[in-house]
Amino acid sequence: MFRQSLRSLARVNKFAGVRTYAEAANSDVLKLSLALPHTAIYNNKAITQVNVPGASGEMGILANHVPIVEQLKPGVVEVIEEAGSTKYFISGGFVNVLPNSKVNISTVEAFKLEDFSAEKVKTLLAEAQKNAASADEAVSAEANIQIEVLESLQAAGVH
Amino acid sequence: MFRLGATTAARFASAPARNYATLREIETRLKSIKNIEKITKTMKIVASTRMGKAQRAIAASRVYSSGDKEFFEVSETKAPEEQEKTLLIAVSSDKGLCGSIHSSIAKNARKKLAEIPNADVVTIGDKIKVQMLRTHADNLVLSFNGIGKEAPTFYESSLIADEIAKLGSYDRVEVLYNKFLSSVAFEPTYVDSFTAASIDASAKLSTFEVDEEASSTAAVAQYSLANTLLAAMSEGYASEIAARRNAMDNASNNAGDMINKYSILYNRTRQAVITNELVDIITGASSLG
Repeated sequence: MFRQSLRSLARVNKFAGVRTYAEAANSDVLKLSLALPHTAIYNNKAITQVNVPGASGEMGILANHVPIVEQLKPGVVEVIEEAGSTKYFISGGFVNVLPNSKVNISTVEAFKLEDFSAEKVKTLLAEAQKNAASADEAVSAEANIQIEVLESLQAAGVH
Repeated sequence: MFRLGATTAARFASAPARNYATLREIETRLKSIKNIEKITKTMKIVASTRMGKAQRAIAASRVYSSGDKEFFEVSETKAPEEQEKTLLIAVSSDKGLCGSIHSSIAKNARKKLAEIPNADVVTIGDKIKVQMLRTHADNLVLSFNGIGKEAPTFYESSLIADEIAKLGSYDRVEVLYNKFLSSVAFEPTYVDSFTAASIDASAKLSTFEVDEEASSTAAVAQYSLANTLLAAMSEGYASEIAARRNAMDNASNNAGDMINKYSILYNRTRQAVITNELVDIITGASSLG
């Protein structure tokens, strides 16, 4: 009786081992690394799809996507996994898709969309719009960048 | 022979006086060593507590910079062979008492400058700046300080990258930093920060679809310089903290050894002084009686 249970245990283990190898070799799985300079949100994690705010327009990336390099605007990165989707707002950065279905998104800051306060966005936007009219070129340039980020935050539907 | 005897007698006569002096001397020295031990022990504890944070920073920055690295690997980006205009960025920090962290960077930088004497040098950190000024003052074009008190941030590295971008264009940019191998080992390492021209010249850049209007290779190059600097600074920071912890550990051990030696010497000398005084008293008493 003992011997039997030992054998079934061994079989289960063997099966598990085979499965991991098969998964690693499978290039139909999209692997995502979403990294900030101070922390990594995703590190080589298998996901279904990721939507990114590219400089040339929003795009969805699935497995076996053609390799690309693209700059990102401030906007929403949506990570779709089997369990559901998570939305992050990023401050801009770069995405590169490698030939082996691997996506690297590097950005300076990223937070979950639900962590933003809509009121704060509104007040900051009002302030930035005031500064944008400033005679000082540096101040108005900075304010214009702020407006771009805040408006895309509003467009993303922060409540 | 008589003269010789007289001098030895004189030496003996002055011996007790010298003993008193050395006793005081040993006492002060013992005290100062004990104080040094306290300081080195505290510095070691401070370094140990920072170590965890520095290692976490390194782990995050390794994931972060792996994105760029993989892209350059696939596109087979290479630095140009002929080194016409080279920029060497030496990354170290402001504070000493951490073993050979700064001198190993300086040594490697000098070796590089012997190969390419007309290279420009940018230093990050006061210690390396001083070392470079001593031998290659003409090559030094820019230096930064105030970095490395805390774990480096992207804000710092992007500010540095901005200043470096103002220097003009270079054919090749190399970053020299201490790579963190383990808590007891580091290794001075060069890493290329690829310029826009070398990215454009990559053999397999055509593998990737690059939207020319939306994102240029110049932007990629600029961003990757900031990333490379951040990675170099985090590695250097962790190496420095680890080296400081080891240096302070060794210093505390040495101080402990010296304290043992000096306490034995102190006790022995005190005993000798007491014995001498007793001999004096007994001789005096017996000569009276």
